[in-house]
Amino acid sequence: MAGNFIERRIRWSGILVGVGLIIQMLTLLWTHPLAFVAFLLIGCPLVAAGILLYLYSLVALSQATESTSEHPVQTPR
Amino acid sequence: MDRTSLILIFFTAIVVVLALLMSARAELTRARGGKMLAFVALCILPALAMWAGANEHMERSTRTQFCLSCHVMHDFGQSLYVDDKSYIPAVHFQNNRVPRDHACFTCHTDYTMFGDYRAKWRGVHHVRVQYLGTVPKPADIKLYTPYNNRECLHCHAGARSYEEASHHLKDPNMLALVAANKLSCMSSDCHDIVHDVDTLKDATFWKPSN
Repeated sequence: MAGNFIERRIRWSGILVGVGLIIQMLTLLWTHPLAFVAFLLIGCPLVAAGILLYLYSLVALSQATESTSEHPVQTPR
Repeated sequence: MDRTSLILIFFTAIVVVLALLMSARAELTRARGGKMLAFVALCILPALAMWAGANEHMERSTRTQFCLSCHVMHDFGQSLYVDDKSYIPAVHFQNNRVPRDHACFTCHTDYTMFGDYRAKWRGVHHVRVQYLGTVPKPADIKLYTPYNNRECLHCHAGARSYEEASHHLKDPNMLALVAANKLSCMSSDCHDIVHDVDTLKDATFWKPSN
């Protein structure tokens, strides 16, 4: 169950990073102040959000693992 | 497009493919190798691409082409081609005393994003005015602060042609006052013809051979 949540976050993280980097790549094709503004205000926040979401998914994974080890599921014998 | 830009675009494209691969195949992260790949593809490489892209954009913003890409700067670009030696920017530009592809930045080192936080804020303000505000006439555009002699002395200080020029030695204190920025190079009837974009309609222009 926790694995699904983490994989979903990784999917979103990949999409955010991918879209952000595509925007950054497009801005590199143009030498203009607007390209710089688009890089800083659109590309960078998307990539940063993707990276942070990925890092958050790692933290969430470690928390989920800790809580599982502290309270192991009792299976009937 | 130069080679650095092409390499950076190619590198960014590879990172995009890796990031989208991790997005499409998130189940790869169940294995140890997939976890390592995800860390590289979603954290290390994107951060590296972002840093390299920011560096490239910062470098581009020092180019003459970048400064003149706003329509309002067109006349300032034209002033670099005036066929008159009394125009200080023109004589520097035409005689390669400043690199032509970085001409604006060489003499305006503290302008917009390269200055302090106030200069950076002005840079953002310029973009806003260009697209959302009322763009002033080129002749009405002035520097926010008086031109600092530091920009001239960056190259001229210590040069024999500067220190031994007869008009610089008329007053024994002149060079000291200029060095202390108390006497402007651009005023006092010395080098006071700068861009003067309001006089361009009567000017003749130099045509470079290449």
